[in-house]
Amino acid sequence: MKYLPLVWAAVMRKPARAILTLLSVMLAFTLFGLTIGMNATFAKFKEDAAADRMFVFSRFGGLVPIALQRQIESMPGVELVASSSGIGGYIKDPKNRAFVQMQDDKVAKTNPEYPITPAQWKMVRDDRMSVLVSKMQADRWHLKPGDTFVIATPAARKLDGSASWTFKVAAVTPDMRIFSQGYIFGNFDYMDKARILSDQNKTGQFIVKVRDAGKTAEIAQQIEDKFANSATPLQSLTEKVAFDVTANTGMDIAAVDRDVALAGMFMVLFLTANSLAQAVRERFAEFATLKTIGFSDGGVIALVFAEAAIPCVLGAGLGIGLATVISNVLPHFLPPGQGLPIPTMELMVFVWAFLCAALVAFISAALPALRLRRMDIATALSGRT
Amino acid sequence: MLRQIWIVSVLNFKSLRSRLWQSMVIVVGLAATIGVMLSMLSVSAGMREAYAKAGDPNRAIVVSKGVDQEGSSAITRAMAPLIAVAPGIAKDKDGKPLADRSLTMGVPVLRKDGTKGNTVMRGFGDKGPGVRPEVKIVAGRMFQPGKREMIAGLGAQMMFQHMQVGDKVILPDGQWPIVGIFTSGDQLEGQLIGDSETLLTALHRANYNSMLVRLASPDSLAALKSALTTNPALSVDVMRHSEWYARVANQQTFALALLGYIVGVVMAIGALFGCLNTMYAAVSTRGREIATLRALGYGAFPVAVSVILEAVLLSVTGALLGAGIAWAFYDGKLDLFGNTIFHLSVSPKQIELGVIWAIVVALLGGLFPSIRAARRPVVEALRAT
Repeated sequence: MKYLPLVWAAVMRKPARAILTLLSVMLAFTLFGLTIGMNATFAKFKEDAAADRMFVFSRFGGLVPIALQRQIESMPGVELVASSSGIGGYIKDPKNRAFVQMQDDKVAKTNPEYPITPAQWKMVRDDRMSVLVSKMQADRWHLKPGDTFVIATPAARKLDGSASWTFKVAAVTPDMRIFSQGYIFGNFDYMDKARILSDQNKTGQFIVKVRDAGKTAEIAQQIEDKFANSATPLQSLTEKVAFDVTANTGMDIAAVDRDVALAGMFMVLFLTANSLAQAVRERFAEFATLKTIGFSDGGVIALVFAEAAIPCVLGAGLGIGLATVISNVLPHFLPPGQGLPIPTMELMVFVWAFLCAALVAFISAALPALRLRRMDIATALSGRT
Repeated sequence: MLRQIWIVSVLNFKSLRSRLWQSMVIVVGLAATIGVMLSMLSVSAGMREAYAKAGDPNRAIVVSKGVDQEGSSAITRAMAPLIAVAPGIAKDKDGKPLADRSLTMGVPVLRKDGTKGNTVMRGFGDKGPGVRPEVKIVAGRMFQPGKREMIAGLGAQMMFQHMQVGDKVILPDGQWPIVGIFTSGDQLEGQLIGDSETLLTALHRANYNSMLVRLASPDSLAALKSALTTNPALSVDVMRHSEWYARVANQQTFALALLGYIVGVVMAIGALFGCLNTMYAAVSTRGREIATLRALGYGAFPVAVSVILEAVLLSVTGALLGAGIAWAFYDGKLDLFGNTIFHLSVSPKQIELGVIWAIVVALLGGLFPSIRAARRPVVEALRAT
């Protein structure tokens, strides 16, 4: 600790260089924070997915008769089946895309983790035009409890010939990570009974909850097999797979993120190693002096490592801080309907950042340290390096 | 003046070798920045190109009013003939309008890595081949209308399992054989094609999704549009196929492209600080040399320009290196994102973008050091060690 002023003086010998190096390192770690933070978000999606649930829907698109709900429920190992169907359209202007997920009253049981109280579910059940609007969606459309709004659905096939749906906000509810744009939940029956007769008693998908989480994949396959040759072949998708970004996109985005973070690290490694090598070269004689007055090899080398560590660790801290700010601010600038996952700044992101910072500092200091260890004091002092 | 700039710059570049490692900071910084950015953009750019090639401006698509994807559009059997007789549509040699009733549906497939994915099965009506002449059979034969069989795109064959001629794909009403492989040079290559009417029957669906028509001339869109949008029996949108696919591509690539640019900007700023650092160091190491030149009568301006030129040369070298690496690794590689199969693209246009970024970084990064170099009093610089 008592050598801190010495190290600090060395770093600040050339303030411009120190600050520029620091800023460069900071930006590399901002990138690091954003990419690794995004991977943390992907991991959280997967964690949030319930192991004992799956989605079941028509294999080739279109609606599924609700009658199948009971057939699936009677299969061994299945605990509960809920119906869920979406209404997609826009509010006022085609640019304002909006989406309401119409849930039947079993969803409260299949998805008990939803931050919705029994009283709120009851509001939707009792008044079929009611919807629960998450905070994010309420902010976007400027809705508060009691408001009504209309979603235009050009492709709708409704019994009354209209092409729009009117909803009433029953309550504003907390957001969920998995719905990165927020959500609106409505009453399934309201939608079902208003559609043309041939579309009634049909759903977009079932939410199937099984008794034993270990058998989800097995039961998913059984459901597909059972209905493979029926009038409505089904497809089942476990939540674990549905919420897995790699499985969804067919592209290992987590690996891309890691590569980007790595490229940033490589870039600063070059920079810090160079600045340090230069700083040491310039002060070669001074190091010789330190050795002359009794500093051990280890002592001098420790000083060099400390000198490397200051911009790296400080830059890592500032960079991750900036990444945190960006991930909080960014969502406000994105146009609605563009689901860009927001980085999560969890503890592991910080831990990895500091490990990387330490590693960069270590590698940067290695060569100069080696030179200092091998230096010949007399030559160095004479200035003939 | 030009001669002075030339002489000073040549002198600069000759001394670059002694500052090799220092200069590498700029090269590596820009190589990492541009390499990473262009690699990331190769996905969105490749998707855009695939859609742009599919969107022939001599074609127009007719969809339900207000929809943004073919899947949510519905063209009824009653509407189809009304659309086909509208003015502005090209006729085939029998005098029939080149208007095709098309259909799209999702089909679950297995990716080559064993994960589950989806592709698009497209229904062609009898005018399909006439409207899309770019579809060419490269193996097997064309499907026969009325038969439960299909052809698969070359891209689909390469990215999915079980896509050889003779393989069977599970569809409603049993398994349909693949009888041929086609190329089209665009995004369609990742899909499957069958007969619209046969698919409608198998799916128990009543409606087509869209009508794709060949325009009589590139200017006949206006006539077609006004005829269809003023017909009270229709509620449709008409647009050039190129415009439609540009929209689809925008929706699909917006988030990806944004991500690429965010990463690019963050890294470029990091590289900029590295560049400033290096150029300041370069100017200070060459302090005496510059002062000597000034003492010999060279102007301050040529000295400043030579510093900026050096930064530009190093940056552009780095950018080309990075772009070259991105190009070598990714350009032309067949890839898949979601349901779209396309070739990754690092096009000359993007490389140009990378070089422009590098020049901007170099100008900003070279400017202040160049001012310092030009302003330093000659006597002071000559005395300095």
